Amino acid sequence: MSFDRRRFLSASAAALAVPYVRTSHAAGSLAVGFWDHWVPGANDMLTKLCNEWAAREKVDLKIDYITSQGNKLLLTVTSEAQAKSGHDILSLPIWYGPGQMASLEPVDDVVQPLIAQYGAVPAAVEYLGKQEGHWIAVPATAGSQMKGPCARIDLFKQHVDLDLTRMYPAGGPPDKGLTDKWSWDTFLLAAEKCFKAGFPFGIGMGQTADSVDSAGAIFAAHGAYLVDAKGSITVNSDATRQALEYCKKLVQFLPPDVFAWDDASNNKWLISGKGALIMNPPSAWAVAKRDNPKVADQLWTFPSPKGPKGRFNPGLPFFWGIWKFSKNKAAARSLLAHLSQRAAVEQLVTASGGFDIPSFSRLREMKIWAEVSPPKGTLANYPPRGDQIVNISGAPAPAPIATQMYTQATITKMIAKFTQGGEAMDKVIAWASSELEGFMRA
Amino acid sequence: MIVGTAVPAIASGAREPRKASMRRDRRRALVWSYVFLIIFVIFFLTPPLYMLITSLKTSAEISAATNPWWVFNPTLQNYAELLTSSTYLTFFRNSAVVALLGVAITMLVSIPAAFALSRMKFWGSAALATGVFLTYLIPNTLLFIPLFRIFAFLHETTGIEFLNHWWMLIIVHPMLTVPFCTWIMIGYFASIPKELDEAALIDGAGYLQILTNIFIPVALPGIIAAMIFAFTVCWADFLYPLAFTTSTDQLVLPVGIVTTLIKGDVFNWGQIMTGALLGAAPPLIIYAFLMDYYIAGLTAGATKG
Amino acid sequence: MNHAVADGMRVSTGRNGSPLKKRLRRKSTIAFVMTLPLILIIGSVVVYPAFYAFYLATLNKSMERFVGLANFSFLFTRETFWMVVKQSIIFAVSAVVFKALIGFMIAHFVHNIPARGQRKWRGMLLVPWVMPPAMSVLAWLWLFDPSYSAFNWLLQKVDMDAVPWLGNPYWARFAIILVNVWIGAPFFMIMYLAALKSVPEQLYEAAAIDGANWWQKMWFITLPMMRNIIAITVLFSLIVTFANFDIVRILTSGGPVDQTHVFATWAFRIGIESNDIPLGACVSLFMFPILAFAAIFILRDISRRGVEA
Repeated sequence: MSFDRRRFLSASAAALAVPYVRTSHAAGSLAVGFWDHWVPGANDMLTKLCNEWAAREKVDLKIDYITSQGNKLLLTVTSEAQAKSGHDILSLPIWYGPGQMASLEPVDDVVQPLIAQYGAVPAAVEYLGKQEGHWIAVPATAGSQMKGPCARIDLFKQHVDLDLTRMYPAGGPPDKGLTDKWSWDTFLLAAEKCFKAGFPFGIGMGQTADSVDSAGAIFAAHGAYLVDAKGSITVNSDATRQALEYCKKLVQFLPPDVFAWDDASNNKWLISGKGALIMNPPSAWAVAKRDNPKVADQLWTFPSPKGPKGRFNPGLPFFWGIWKFSKNKAAARSLLAHLSQRAAVEQLVTASGGFDIPSFSRLREMKIWAEVSPPKGTLANYPPRGDQIVNISGAPAPAPIATQMYTQATITKMIAKFTQGGEAMDKVIAWASSELEGFMRA
Repeated sequence: MIVGTAVPAIASGAREPRKASMRRDRRRALVWSYVFLIIFVIFFLTPPLYMLITSLKTSAEISAATNPWWVFNPTLQNYAELLTSSTYLTFFRNSAVVALLGVAITMLVSIPAAFALSRMKFWGSAALATGVFLTYLIPNTLLFIPLFRIFAFLHETTGIEFLNHWWMLIIVHPMLTVPFCTWIMIGYFASIPKELDEAALIDGAGYLQILTNIFIPVALPGIIAAMIFAFTVCWADFLYPLAFTTSTDQLVLPVGIVTTLIKGDVFNWGQIMTGALLGAAPPLIIYAFLMDYYIAGLTAGATKG
Repeated sequence: MNHAVADGMRVSTGRNGSPLKKRLRRKSTIAFVMTLPLILIIGSVVVYPAFYAFYLATLNKSMERFVGLANFSFLFTRETFWMVVKQSIIFAVSAVVFKALIGFMIAHFVHNIPARGQRKWRGMLLVPWVMPPAMSVLAWLWLFDPSYSAFNWLLQKVDMDAVPWLGNPYWARFAIILVNVWIGAPFFMIMYLAALKSVPEQLYEAAAIDGANWWQKMWFITLPMMRNIIAITVLFSLIVTFANFDIVRILTSGGPVDQTHVFATWAFRIGIESNDIPLGACVSLFMFPILAFAAIFILRDISRRGVEA
């Protein structure tokens, strides 16, 4: 009798003593943190798909939508990696995944079947997602974006004398004559004309992703790379000098406070009608549809200009990663596989209004981009094709260095120092070298 | 005697024109005082007023970029949305529990400690009092990194998840409030005349009885002031929750508003301002009703011990 | 009555001294028990982490190796570090100077008006200090927004250029100091007001009769009487402002190009957001010398005040 009671008491005491120790018997519960989508309503579709899966698999699912504004997503990722507790699955844009590769669960068993089923992924995605031979995260649909130009048709016609809908039309191939001339130099001329007309281009030069991505494309187009694939510092080159000189010329036609712009600033710039062009995915257009339809009617998304080394378009792939400390990896794998099926992908892309670009090649054969309106065909040229090269800002540097380059925005800081800061070219390059050396710290 | 009465007479005679000029000076000083006070009140109250104005706007009106200082189509939609949003209410609840428990723990620690330090001179009491004061000089911005690491380490070794749970803030908040509250209480307790407790001692009262029956009632204004201070500090803390909690349902208001309301929807400022205003409401309301205690507590350092 | 009490006491303690000894011993134990929670809290949540920070700062980035002072020497080579040092000091010193001056001025104005009206003015003026900074700084953030700033709207209405409040480094620093002064000046006001009230009115009257003007009254009466409170508030505020996090984090996040970073925000960026805890601990430890410096001054002042009192 007393023996049973003692056992009962000790068992309940044990149960009460550590209420917040998560045991593996909490199977059937999963906490996911997804990136808070810029397109209004896109999150709801993701929630719906996840809840469908959770009801079917009988999993107790908790979803958080984490914004990238104010570095909140970055903070969550790094904080959870260090604390070894938090969500089970997190959205990992661009370098966040490679930066935490030691803490991420290998997911080859999820990704390889998807590649077999839906085709290969772009080189950029594999470059990021496959570290040291295995996949550290699943290429995600939700959030994967390109940040090419999104501009005002009317302003370009009026002030730049360029018909965007003819250069990159909706139904057919691009106009070779016009696209051959669409280079960073003509971009500069267009920027000057729009600036003088009172509708400057809005290219951010701050420290957030939008700014770092577009600056990375400009640098890559001139052949300027800060660190090479082997990890050697290559910032001190003629190409870098060319790129910086170009940026100096460009900055004089931009609003004066671009150096403090965050990811929302260029959206606001375009939606308010103040700007003629921004480098952004279609989120600005989607919000303008709701808040300023007159502007939305005139927006056209198309590829970046061509530079001496090619037509580099800034891309930002997203991944879904499972933490090694997750207590329910089986459920996590199942959910990610479910979200990557064709049915789910199609719904996600539709709900995002064409913002999301699936990574697997056969999943990209969707008509949505040609169909969304107004204006009709506005996103027809959004998914990367033709002579475009998807640029990952920071590539080809090794992941630990590139992560720091990206989050510390070395490239835009260089531009800011050279232009707004008025520092000499050599001083700026020396500073960048010193910073990059610091990133080699182990 | 004659001189005595004559002098005031002469002096007051001489003082009359001076009094008049002094009165004129005083009136001029008064006018200028009011002028400057009005200017400063405008400076100080403009941001909260602007918060209120923006909170009554729809996102369409904000994006239309009309006069930002006036509401053309006022709406309570932002308030309705927030007050029915389970996320926001979770923030509010977390903040309330954290703050109230923080106050309780702070008082439970501070009052006995202040009593002991102000009345009972024991070995090391002076050093301890100074030490309490000194810890106030170690800011939370110095401690958040080692604390983060300590909590992570404890999680690895004991399995208890300290990080990412709002209740762990109750462990760290006393560090922000206890030193100052103890200091306030010591000041108040020291000003209670010693005869009171000596009389009680003679009557055979124990120290605990002295504390509860004499000190607490007499120093009640100071205790209320300390409680208000503790509440305000716990409610407003931003760094610790930002560093230690990441999941949405564990956030408290300051962090919740700044990190989840400011998101991709670029014209969400109506809701952000509403959230900020509602989040600032509890300390403001407490302040409005208990202003005198609040101020007395702050100035306890200026005038008392 | 005293005799009776004294006799009674003598009777109770005179027998063999042990009740008194017992009482003294009990008193120490009780006193110790009463202060135990305080000691525990301070020890575990303040003192231990502070020392632990020193230990952390001597580890390498992945916290696996002991590297001694390598982190410190690494920081000394970082240009950003010296920028942060400079910015923190300028920010703290100028903000405190302005807060003290403005607080002092406003305290005088409130003190001048009739006592009945003082309460409501005081009430209105303290609001910035009562509001949680995380909320009020959001209001400032919206007021300074690059595209929708309400201030710029007013400026443009009078045909002036819009100001890039948070985009230009100098304006951004100005904005940070402005917001800090906005939040902190009321505190100074309330402290100085209380101190002003404790200056005896007769001193001013006597001075007025002697023909002193307001400047002389200020210099010879007010300031000397308030010297202690001014010193205490300035030193306290230096410490708190120097260690400030909320304002910079929410308003500029350290930008543009790291030109508004202070120790706390930079430590957060490096330590937590860039996964380098030892370096972050190292950065925040640099606050220590300044804090210790200020602490010594405060302590000296307190003990002097204690002697005077």
